[in-house]
Amino acid sequence: MDHANDDIARALMPSAHTLRERQNLLFQFWRFLALNLRFVTMIFKGEH
Amino acid sequence: MARVVVLGAGISGHTAALHLRRRLAKEHEVVVVTPNSKWNWIPSNIWVGVGNMRTDQVTFPLAPVYRRKGIVFHQALATELHPEGSPDLAAPHVTVRYTDPRREGEVAQLTYDYLINATGPKLNFAATPGLGPDANTVSVCTPQHAVHASEELAKVIATLRQGVRQRLVVGVGHGTCTCEGAAFEYAFNVEHELRTAGVRDLAEVVYLTNEYELGDFGVGGMVFHQGGEETTSKYWTESLFRERDVRAIVQAHVEKVEPGVIHYEQLDGSRNTLTFDFAMLLPPFRGVDLTAFDAQGRDITSEMFAPNGFMKVDANYASPVYEDWSAADWPSTYESPRYPNVFGVGIAFAPPHQISTPRTSPNGTLITPAPPRTGMPSGVMGKTVALTIVDRITTGTATAARRASMADMGAACVASAGTGLRRGTAASMTMYPVVPDYARFPGSGRSDKDTFGEIGLAGHWTKYMLHVLFMYKAMARPGWHLIPE
Repeated sequence: MDHANDDIARALMPSAHTLRERQNLLFQFWRFLALNLRFVTMIFKGEH
Repeated sequence: MARVVVLGAGISGHTAALHLRRRLAKEHEVVVVTPNSKWNWIPSNIWVGVGNMRTDQVTFPLAPVYRRKGIVFHQALATELHPEGSPDLAAPHVTVRYTDPRREGEVAQLTYDYLINATGPKLNFAATPGLGPDANTVSVCTPQHAVHASEELAKVIATLRQGVRQRLVVGVGHGTCTCEGAAFEYAFNVEHELRTAGVRDLAEVVYLTNEYELGDFGVGGMVFHQGGEETTSKYWTESLFRERDVRAIVQAHVEKVEPGVIHYEQLDGSRNTLTFDFAMLLPPFRGVDLTAFDAQGRDITSEMFAPNGFMKVDANYASPVYEDWSAADWPSTYESPRYPNVFGVGIAFAPPHQISTPRTSPNGTLITPAPPRTGMPSGVMGKTVALTIVDRITTGTATAARRASMADMGAACVASAGTGLRRGTAASMTMYPVVPDYARFPGSGRSDKDTFGEIGLAGHWTKYMLHVLFMYKAMARPGWHLIPE
């Protein structure tokens, strides 16, 4: 048997503030821009 | 005049064909051979599988696109490779059997100067008795499978609405499966649909995986640095499982599936069963059934292909011991060591070894994810090989191949955890490189700066944007080549 469900039970539960932030339109628009900037930067790394 | 034959029109093969056609003069011929008549943006199949997208939103017919671009299209299945020619036909060629309804069953030989094997995986449901949509579980590997999964899910939701408890199991159906990310996405999309339907309290959602621990995703997990702290994809993923009340069974090899019962073995050697009312279990992959012959007609399949059916390329396949593995083992040109005009890209190439640490149960069962090589890396490989061939055709010389190793390539993975422009969410991850390089990045094997994860609505918007962009790109609409792989 594994201990996955014990580990899940001990995992950090996101706070109400974090959960609100994850769905907040303004904050998420900012994260959308930041996320895609990060993606584009990473895409152009490496050999291709 | 040169002819380039591309076997397969998935992300890798289709990308290669479009770049070849764009870069090569019209006198050269680009030929695509694929048994399917439609292109499929596979990452969005999970949304078809929960009834949030139609199949025509994730597919389009290939023939009109290839006609418009001047690419020759054969709807056919490649069955034999003759890289040295054969006693009947001296030029290198591939034997194909048509699946095109107008030529169904007809066999032909297509000669080539360059060949790209981008045939993708064979969905090996047969590896696990009782697995698959023709048996006791559903799948989201193809649009048709996803529609079936969506119909079965709707039945379960209808039963839940009658107040009957149901157990839904989502995961992988064999100890050596890959694509754990897709199973993860489907699990959380199903959970999201259950909440939307107002029946979540009666449903138990179980994620069943061959990963050693949650957050492995077949890449050995990731280390993130956020807000001045170090965390891992394991803790990050476990937090999501706790928040959404999804149970997990890890380190599992599904041995067989009977109606309503999954039999599985775990790394500690224990054998267990799990009953279910709905089960979406992804199959393991193997290479497609291609056989290869030399000029005399001798079968050389075992020399060109690994035992799992994937094609050997410029990787180091000589290190059987985990401790001896290194990032340098991974291929970078995707050229066949035996035939420099033959390439294997995407899922079709044989990886030299797993990325996750390989583990075996006391019963000798390998329970370790196979390395993912889909999506972004797949497209990059397709383009890289296309450019190598363009170089060689335009210069008329055997110029050095271009390089794109997964040990020097980043990947972005956006794992949907529920749809909706305002209520959707996704786990967004980037990693660089895909294959950890412990010499360059001591510790985690990956760049701290370029490996990160984040959960939120922005990820859903990004995944939807990628869906739109990649459908546009694959349709070869104006400016398609400006969208990166």
